[in-house]
Amino acid sequence: MAEAAQSHDCNAQPDGLPEAKNRQSSGCLQLIDGPIDVERLRQHVMAESAGAVVVFVGTTRRKTDDVITLRLEYEAHRPLAIACLRRLQVEAVERFGLEGCGIAHRLGVVEVGEESIAVAVASQHRAAAFAATAWLMDRIKACVPIWKREHTTDGRAFWVHGEERPGP
Amino acid sequence: MDGPALTVVLFAGLADCLGRREVQIDWSGGTAGELRQQLCKLHPDAALLFGRSAIAVGEGYCRDEEPVPPGADVAVIPPVSGG
Repeated sequence: MAEAAQSHDCNAQPDGLPEAKNRQSSGCLQLIDGPIDVERLRQHVMAESAGAVVVFVGTTRRKTDDVITLRLEYEAHRPLAIACLRRLQVEAVERFGLEGCGIAHRLGVVEVGEESIAVAVASQHRAAAFAATAWLMDRIKACVPIWKREHTTDGRAFWVHGEERPGP
Repeated sequence: MDGPALTVVLFAGLADCLGRREVQIDWSGGTAGELRQQLCKLHPDAALLFGRSAIAVGEGYCRDEEPVPPGADVAVIPPVSGG
């Protein structure tokens, strides 16, 4: 599958995540201007020591309350986003004792039904994998400098900004 | 007194509101909170969104009390909506 410009690639050496004390794990971070290869992300976090892999995929939803979405469009402060994702990845590995952790976020236009984010987590047992995935999604949505612009079927386009000031 | 010019990079709704990707302000140093206040004063139409935004220097978020040196690599981060 052809891939457009990326800020970080799963083909690069796994991070090694040296900040995670003595825990070796496989990792991958990706900001990608094109479709996410979810299967490749899953394979990247796999480890023989893992008994569980959870893959979460977020997609563009057609309807939110009364708003009918035509498409979403994402932009990011790329260096800060990669730095934030890296910190979350390290913390997730340490907090949940993970064997692997990968995050991919698509930028640019994401049509209805297409994938905007994938989080893949591997652990020895499933409880940690489920908990880590949910934790990562909550943290990504609170602190990573990525924004979506909603394009609606009635011709409006607006950036989605909540009330909360973002932070690390 | 005028200070050296600081380039502040904008994203998303802030870039749209001001019609550009960056603004320049005179900045001889101060805290992130002071920088935000100055941006609000200079651009009152965007003050609400500036007020809810974080200041980032380089690859890290800056707390309000932390210094932003002259010539720093600064971006304003409005409330995020990724994921």
